[in-house]
Amino acid sequence: MAESYLSPLLISLKTVVVATIITFILGIAAARWMAHYSGKFKNLIDGLFISPLVLPPTVVGLGLLLIFGKDGPIGEFLSLFNTTIVFSWPATVISAVVMSFPLMYMTSLGAFEQVDSHLEDAARTLGASEWRVFWSVTLPLAWSGVAAATVLSLARSLGEFGATLMLAGNIPGKTTTIPVAIYFSIQAGDMNQALVLVGVVLVIAFGALAAVAYWKGKTYKARTTIMNRERVE
Amino acid sequence: MLEVRIKSALPGFTLDVAFSVNQEILAILGPSGSGKTMTLRCIAGLTRPDEGYVKLNDKILLDTATGVNLPANKRKVGFVFQNYSLFPHLTVNQNIGYGIRHLPAKQMEDRVAELLDKMHIKQLGDRLPRQLSAGQQQRVAVARALAPEPEVLLLDEPFSALDSMVKERLYLVLQAVQYFYKGNMLFVTHDLTEGYKLSSRIAVFESGRIVQHDQKEKVIFSPSNHTVARLVGFKNLMEGFVIETKESTALIKVPELGGSVRAIMQNNTNLAVNQRVTIGIRPEYIQLRNQPSSENTFLCTVDRVVEGVTATDYYFRVNTVGTTQHYITAIFPKPASSSIREGQLCHLYLPPEHVVVITD
Repeated sequence: MAESYLSPLLISLKTVVVATIITFILGIAAARWMAHYSGKFKNLIDGLFISPLVLPPTVVGLGLLLIFGKDGPIGEFLSLFNTTIVFSWPATVISAVVMSFPLMYMTSLGAFEQVDSHLEDAARTLGASEWRVFWSVTLPLAWSGVAAATVLSLARSLGEFGATLMLAGNIPGKTTTIPVAIYFSIQAGDMNQALVLVGVVLVIAFGALAAVAYWKGKTYKARTTIMNRERVE
Repeated sequence: MLEVRIKSALPGFTLDVAFSVNQEILAILGPSGSGKTMTLRCIAGLTRPDEGYVKLNDKILLDTATGVNLPANKRKVGFVFQNYSLFPHLTVNQNIGYGIRHLPAKQMEDRVAELLDKMHIKQLGDRLPRQLSAGQQQRVAVARALAPEPEVLLLDEPFSALDSMVKERLYLVLQAVQYFYKGNMLFVTHDLTEGYKLSSRIAVFESGRIVQHDQKEKVIFSPSNHTVARLVGFKNLMEGFVIETKESTALIKVPELGGSVRAIMQNNTNLAVNQRVTIGIRPEYIQLRNQPSSENTFLCTVDRVVEGVTATDYYFRVNTVGTTQHYITAIFPKPASSSIREGQLCHLYLPPEHVVVITD
């Protein structure tokens, strides 16, 4: 019965890797945009970006179904090519991205806002374009916050259940991720299978927490070290 | 040549200034919160004022009337921030080279080496900012700002975070910068001495306005109004009215002193008899006399003495009739004054050439 453990593991792995890459790019881009945006709709957009974090996952899942389902805008478009997202592997990625995006966005935004704006101003007076300011000053100085954000969203993607179940369903070998497999194992009465899968998730989750704590400590240490300047005359 | 006109509403006051800087070092002097930093930021393009015009040599950097607003990275304005703002994740070499990365590698290296040498920090190239002392960081900040050969160098309270010994050394560094940097320099300070030592002209800011903009000697020794006089250290400002004028001198009755004071006019102001004026004299120029001489001498009692390291502050009470007490502050260098005690009677002489007449 090794396949019943291996299959969810492999599917989750693929999903998490792809989802994290997408969330990483989208989250940083959104955080960068909002850090400098001061228009009227700032609070509205910010709220929209964070909403999957506060809404029940099944509600988000329903929302996704309405968009990707056969009567939804994207669903209809895709049916022209005879494909559908619903109940396919890409659906696990989409659910994971949507549910982990708020974490990546919020944590990265916090990290960017903590970078001393005088440093960014200095870079501008030295001729750097906004792009160069971001890559050479903001991002390097915010990297431990961004790393923590990435790990958090990775862990979130791994544990994603509600929206995944609604959009991707439970198709063993195709869309059954670890959390879905755990649920259905318990439904079927197979405690052992469930516990093994739970164990795997716990190991990864605690690993993630440890990494986040380590990186947060690093930023704090870096700041206090600058404050108690080690001077070498 | 830098031309600046800025008008912007700020919390508490309106910034409304206009000035130019032409092949010189201008010190912007004023108390905290008078709009000095905001002005620099508008010149550099880091902040956009409500209305403004900034022209640097032949290029218009900002003109709100026509919609021109060059972004900061295109203005060729060098900026040294109050806390230096060195990039903490880059070495000294990388910090200084940040603005000249587009140059060919050899040229960039040479320029960095040249600046390290000129700032006397040659051996610090590979250090990180957190491994430098405040004075060293400041020099790196100046070198970094000068590397791209900006057309004007702005310094925002460059010495305020330093202790006095380090400051003195850095004044020399900033003076030396003039020998190899030929552009205009504009620095902001709240320290009078610093402003005087390092500049050729001073613009005094108060609540968002320039209250005097002149050669430094004029600002410090012949302030044109009350506000400036107070800001540049005139502790003895007294009301009076003109009794007579003769060529370049004026005789002014000062009720607080119970007598008249003769002043030699520095500017060619025409005073009218009975005109209300304020007279002032810097504490360092008051002299002690053994007996009353013919003019400008007043009998006072020593009220308080505060001894300093090189000079002592004396607070005198003027011996006049009447119930209100009036005070004169004088500073006498040590050791000439060491015998004066509290309660002692002294004759204070106000030399006419150092009495300033303010007509606002």
